[in-house]
Amino acid sequence: MNNMELIENYFKGILSGEEKKSFEQRIQEEASFADEVAFYISANNMLRQRIHEEKKQQFRDVYQRQKTVSIKKPVIKIWRYVAAASVLIVLLLATWFIAGNKTSPQQLADRYIKQNLQMLPVTMGIQDSLQQGVTLYNSGKLREALPLFETLSLAHPENTDAKKYAGIVYLRLYDYDKAMQYFSGLEANKNLYSNPGKFLKAITLLKRDSKGDEDKAKQLLNEVIQQSLEGSKDAEEIIRKIK
Amino acid sequence: MAAFSHAVSDDSIVRNLKESAVEKRRAEEVLFSRYMYLINEGIHKYSLTEEESFNAYSDSILQTIYNVTNDNFENRSSLKTYLYRIFSNKCVDLIRKKTTNKSSVHQTAPVSDMLSVISDPAKTIIQQLVEKADYEKLKSCLAKIGETCRQLLTMFSEGYPDKHIAVIMEYKSADVVKVSRLRCLDKLRQLYV
Repeated sequence: MNNMELIENYFKGILSGEEKKSFEQRIQEEASFADEVAFYISANNMLRQRIHEEKKQQFRDVYQRQKTVSIKKPVIKIWRYVAAASVLIVLLLATWFIAGNKTSPQQLADRYIKQNLQMLPVTMGIQDSLQQGVTLYNSGKLREALPLFETLSLAHPENTDAKKYAGIVYLRLYDYDKAMQYFSGLEANKNLYSNPGKFLKAITLLKRDSKGDEDKAKQLLNEVIQQSLEGSKDAEEIIRKIK
Repeated sequence: MAAFSHAVSDDSIVRNLKESAVEKRRAEEVLFSRYMYLINEGIHKYSLTEEESFNAYSDSILQTIYNVTNDNFENRSSLKTYLYRIFSNKCVDLIRKKTTNKSSVHQTAPVSDMLSVISDPAKTIIQQLVEKADYEKLKSCLAKIGETCRQLLTMFSEGYPDKHIAVIMEYKSADVVKVSRLRCLDKLRQLYV
């Protein structure tokens, strides 16, 4: 192994510990060997520096040529995002505007049920089966309240409250056909001074929202308004929002 | 080039950086162009001047190229992540040097880390000798050693392993490259001393 190879092996880290020690000892003892080691380092430094300068000039040329394009590039990207975000915002606003102006039939029904049918009126001092049913209903026990209202309705067909409440329970349990049956029975009672049957049928149809339900509900609501039946004010508001 | 540079994959750049001069040069420019916007980041994020940021970016690219060429880049991260890490460190180093009034010490050319390998007191002896080296004379000697020798030494300094040099320069083996290269180094020394 000549000196240059030994020097290269030393800097590549492939000499053993003993060989390394001997190598460094030679540097201290042999001036000519130290010169060779120094030359190896200097030559490498010179070559690296030369390459570095050449490449740097090459990059500087590229940079000068493309400076404008490269600096603009992130801006173009940002504008793309801004444009995409703007389109999205416009679409969202349009959707919100359209949806905000026209509430769906189900939403209107839900709103009415939430505001008016969450609690039933309690008659103080009376504790009959109707009131027991109302108490259960108001505490959220709809399925337990239902048999009380239904039994009462069958046993006493003249009890319109029982019919009404049974229909409301079915409405809230999403059994719309049963609800319609009870509200129709209620509507058919002509002896009542104030009959909410037609209006509640309309609410049930809005909530069900099957094919043709919306038109039927509108028709019923208009009848409620024209005949000034119970629920006519709410019917006016719903008709206004549904158009 | 900027638009084109984004169409080239990392693998393709890495592969071409290990090729001979023409492909390598093209890959270097693609790599440089692709992340050139980092120069702006150096200006805005690290408050460097354009020249300082350009130097930090160029040095980062050169270090990346060197590590790719000598097979030290192991594909553990993308080129972007790898380069960004080097660039950030260089920017931080520059700021430190600026704030401690050591900017005059800063060199954009690579300083050999070979000296750090040597233990004291041998290191002191070699350091003194290296400081006395006449780099201009070395350069002129390099111009006299012939094209093949110059190419062998240059490729080795660029980080090419001998086995790659053997393929590119059509030598029989890496061992033949090593022997030829060391002879060239001896030739350079004879011209120098």
